[in-house]
Amino acid sequence: MKSYFALVRGSFMAIMMYRLSFFFTVIGNLLYIVLLYFLWSSIYRGVETIRGMSFNQAFVYVALAGSIFTMVKTWADWEISWHITSGSIIMDLVKPLDFQFYFLSQTVGFMAFNFIMIALPSALVLLLFFGADVEMGVGLLFLPAGLILAFLISFAIDYIIGLTSFYTESIWGISMTKEIITTLLSGALVPLQFFPDAAQRILRLLPFQAIYHIPLTMLTAPNLDVRACLGLLGTQVVWVVLLFLAGRLLFTRASRVLMVSGG
Amino acid sequence: MNDTVVHVDHLSKHFRILNRREGLGGAIRDLFSADYKTVRAVDDISFDIQAGEIVGYIGPNGAGKSTTIKMMTGVLKPSDGTLLVSGNEPYANRRRNAQTMGVVFGQRTQLWWDLPVIESFRILKEIYRVDDATYEKHLGMFNELVDLKALYSQPVRKLSLGQRMLCDITASFLHNPRIVFLDEPSIGLDVSVKSKIRSVIRELNRAQRTTIILTTHDLGDVEALCRRIIIIDKGKIIYDGPIGKVTALFGAYRTLKVQIHNYKEGTSDQLEAALGARFGGDAAIAVEHTETGWTDVTVNQDQVPLFDVLRFVMETLPIKDVRIVEISMENVVQQIYDGALK
Amino acid sequence: MRTLLHYVRLYVLIATQYVKARMQYRADFWISSVGMVFTSIATVFVFWVLFHSIPDLAGWSFDEILFIYAFYLLSVVPLQLFFDNIWQLRFHVVEGSFIKYYLRPINMMFYYMSDMVDLKGWVQLALGVFMLIYASQRLGLTWNLWRLGVLGMALFSSSLVAISILTIAACATFWIVGSFPVMDLALKIRDFSPYPMTIFDGFFRFLFTYLIPIGFVAFYPSQFFLRPEQVPLLTYFSPLMGIGSFALAYFVWTKGVNSYTGTGS
Ligand SMILES: Nc1ncnc2c1ncn2[C@@H]1O[C@H](COP(=O)(O)OP(=O)(O)O)[C@@H](O)[C@H]1O
Ligand SMILES: [Mg+2]
Repeated sequence: MKSYFALVRGSFMAIMMYRLSFFFTVIGNLLYIVLLYFLWSSIYRGVETIRGMSFNQAFVYVALAGSIFTMVKTWADWEISWHITSGSIIMDLVKPLDFQFYFLSQTVGFMAFNFIMIALPSALVLLLFFGADVEMGVGLLFLPAGLILAFLISFAIDYIIGLTSFYTESIWGISMTKEIITTLLSGALVPLQFFPDAAQRILRLLPFQAIYHIPLTMLTAPNLDVRACLGLLGTQVVWVVLLFLAGRLLFTRASRVLMVSGG
Repeated sequence: MNDTVVHVDHLSKHFRILNRREGLGGAIRDLFSADYKTVRAVDDISFDIQAGEIVGYIGPNGAGKSTTIKMMTGVLKPSDGTLLVSGNEPYANRRRNAQTMGVVFGQRTQLWWDLPVIESFRILKEIYRVDDATYEKHLGMFNELVDLKALYSQPVRKLSLGQRMLCDITASFLHNPRIVFLDEPSIGLDVSVKSKIRSVIRELNRAQRTTIILTTHDLGDVEALCRRIIIIDKGKIIYDGPIGKVTALFGAYRTLKVQIHNYKEGTSDQLEAALGARFGGDAAIAVEHTETGWTDVTVNQDQVPLFDVLRFVMETLPIKDVRIVEISMENVVQQIYDGALK
Repeated sequence: MRTLLHYVRLYVLIATQYVKARMQYRADFWISSVGMVFTSIATVFVFWVLFHSIPDLAGWSFDEILFIYAFYLLSVVPLQLFFDNIWQLRFHVVEGSFIKYYLRPINMMFYYMSDMVDLKGWVQLALGVFMLIYASQRLGLTWNLWRLGVLGMALFSSSLVAISILTIAACATFWIVGSFPVMDLALKIRDFSPYPMTIFDGFFRFLFTYLIPIGFVAFYPSQFFLRPEQVPLLTYFSPLMGIGSFALAYFVWTKGVNSYTGTGS
């Protein structure tokens, strides 16, 4: 625990070195919430509810999606790709560490920092200054677990994307495509409820909604009971397991390529 | 004196940097702090350089060499003093001056990273509006000097450090500049590449009477190339004159590096005292323990035969390993402060 | 005139070489282009989902929004194609490799930007043209030579605005250590430029019209074509806005370049 505290403290200070930069990060996130407020106000101009969601629900949903975004963005795909293309992966492979968990542990500190410094303050501002309400139900109790699982799913996807660098140089294209698909199909930009019904049915079968829609549901859906919450967590756990396994499988195959071709 | 290419008069460059405080609290207070300190990177220097000279501008790391070069090439604005290159203020007339200068910053290529070398040359030809005849003549000369032709179709990023440096130097002469600045051209290169680079520089200076200013912290470079050297330390010029005097003095110096078994605090002082007693105080044998675990014994061979000192040291102390190297830049500077050139 | 020709020749020379070199990574080019397609149509997709539930956005129909977005895509093409190197600026500045741009007898901004041509820009160009035609057809807009001329003029102005906003944000790196948040902020703001500025009121409308004029990237100029009978007076100032903001960006760039002190050794 102590060492984790040291980690958070270290990165906190590192950011502090960048004085103005830090101010801009904070201002940027606040401004983003303000812009969303304007956008969604005008979407809701003259109507009470859209697709069963009130303005308050929808606004909290998309604004907090922004906070989750800063938290689950791991950059692990870029990092891994850089290790592969620069050849420093050789140094990683000789370490007596599991490759996947090695990168995971490197991103955890980053996530903790972003959560404390960016996501949490943005959420607080949202609740205090915009008069937004979240549902004070059991959903809140499950939220921490839901957020951690969301982070793990996001990492597992980034990990797989990063490994594609074994096969192609183009991390920009693949990563952007992933980024867009993840944000579009997960509820990060528009609540899932807004999608046409047929689309919704498909989206619920994909892992992306488990990153945004599930934790946001815990925050905004009225009258959630414990069973529903457990169901949501269960979905996330299944995706974590599946995606982590997929990543490991891909790594085994890809590293065989490395050994044959010499990188 | 109308052949002065560089005129430097009481030139200074100061940087303001933030004083950082310690710890978490300090980091937070730094957010609002305005506590700056001034680094005098170049501090009131003066000299003139004539057309056709090769001048070695040398000094230890952090002495202010690159800062001076950056001012002369118009990258940095002087804080104080006068600086004229070919009669112009480099900073004020950056674009015009660039036409008459060539610059190489060691380790940092100015060629186009992804393009074949020859394409970089062609682009430079266009940038400087070099006519075909001059261009062909120059390339021909380089091909004679160093066989670069084989490299021309390679992208720059695939070249070795030494090959890249040779190409960069070639590129800096393509537009037939009046003056070329070479900042640490031999840094990180092995001996054979170094000597190749030296011969190229010498030839280019001879062929066009190009003025060359060469910074380095390697005495070997200047010994091979320059007749005049300027030594700078902590932003101040501590020597400006013929190289002969310096090599006569330091050419005889060698540093004996020894690894002492069971080294203890104070061993080096005892050794220095013992050497003083044995060879006399005039021999001025300096002993210094370094962080790497080696103990440096600096000897002037004109005064004491190196092997006598070595034998004495080996008899006095349990020695694990021995190396003999030429005197380092830091040592030269120390000796100058101690009055060696007076 | 001679200088202009010199620069054009130089740019063509560097760009063709660069493209040739990049074409060795053909797979990268295609995958990046696909990524760009996704990035470019993401906003359309959001609109599409939204308009599934609402009839109009602040009084603008889906087709009109599509037109504005197409205009936006076209106006960021020059930025993407010719100014993409601003994304590298903070790395060059931090690592000190930026000084090489001081050392040639040509304009520094030109030299710096000529170092990279981002080929993905063609995707925005193609998609922009396609969407513009599609939206015009749905809206029953007709094009003639005069209107095409106006379009060219309008796009010229708005691309200058788009270039200027990001250039100024990138220049923050000359004064601020770790300037990524500034660029990120500029990008976040720019991403709102295909929205009708009428969704904002008071301070923010003023901000996005005069101070950070993203309104001029797409919304105001596209009114010429969408609702020619009620073009706000402001729209006629688009060229002025474009040239003015680029002049400002160039001024900031020059200031930054002159205050940059390098990173030692
Ligand atoms: N941009 C800068 N900001 C602050 N200090 C600098 C900067 N550039 C150089 N310095 C300082 O100026 C001194 C001289 O540096 P430099 O000219 O690079 O030395 P040299 O090239 O001789 O090794 C050093 O102490 C260095 O730390
Ligand atoms: Mg230096």
